[in-house]
Amino acid sequence: MVTTEVSVPAGISTRAGAVRITAAQMGGVAGFLAVVAGAVFDVRPPEAYGLCMACHARDLVNWTINDLAGTHLTVAPASVAFPLLTTIGVFLGALLGATSSGEFRWRSPESSVSTFVYGALVMNFALLAGGCAIRLLLRTTAGEALGLTGFVGLIAGVTCGTMWLRWRATR
Amino acid sequence: MTAAVATLTIGIVLGYLGQRSRMCFVGGIRDVILVRDTYLLKGLLAFGLTAWLAFPLAGLLVGARSGSFGGSDAVTLGLTIVGGFGVGFLSTLANGCPFRQHVLAAQGIRSSIAYLAGFVAGAVIFHGAIAPLLSRLLP
Repeated sequence: MVTTEVSVPAGISTRAGAVRITAAQMGGVAGFLAVVAGAVFDVRPPEAYGLCMACHARDLVNWTINDLAGTHLTVAPASVAFPLLTTIGVFLGALLGATSSGEFRWRSPESSVSTFVYGALVMNFALLAGGCAIRLLLRTTAGEALGLTGFVGLIAGVTCGTMWLRWRATR
Repeated sequence: MTAAVATLTIGIVLGYLGQRSRMCFVGGIRDVILVRDTYLLKGLLAFGLTAWLAFPLAGLLVGARSGSFGGSDAVTLGLTIVGGFGVGFLSTLANGCPFRQHVLAAQGIRSSIAYLAGFVAGAVIFHGAIAPLLSRLLP
């Protein structure tokens, strides 16, 4: 079930004239902006913090709870005054991309209960490693040995996960 | 405030580009293993290469220091490996990295919206229960 989703691009360019961008172009822009965010726009400390879906989401959630309930949940130094809004930005940008190309469609290909659990688990492991897939790569390119260690762990995890998916599909 | 506005703007740009390109940082590795497709891996490599070149340049231009990270004792090393492995394994099962899940949620995929709800709950669980527990158990 999951493996079919892998190779078939879901609803690509359903509208003629929709903007086409390759993954390589997106990756290049993302890598550049991730560094610029840290170096120019004060998205630090910690170092190599310019782009992270897990840490920035954590900052936003904890900052909001701290603000509303007066608690002292952990927030990165970069988010103390006002939280980083990367996750909201990505959601809005993707919404713009989906609606402008006619790719927005309500669907539910997988069980929402299991994806909820996956989301909670991925967040916990990401905070344990100090970054999601993006920030582990960003830390690696910044020359941090620990980031490289985490990224190697990520590659091992994806490899095992893929083999598990394949085993489950061919069983 | 600068950081908040900058990350919101950068997020919108990357969310749009990510939606148009179907970029996924976990899918890049997965597709190569599963179907020998390098489309997403090119995005991963482009990200790494650009950031690797941009870090020293940023250091020269604005005097940002790179490589000034905290200590890496055995416990931190172990947690980072376990964390990285967990993110990779579970993101593969969840059918996309956290970035991709945000994009899918914005495309109207209900299960990805549930994933984001889990993401928020996960942050609270980690700092409310897991982190205090670990700091008590670990040396």
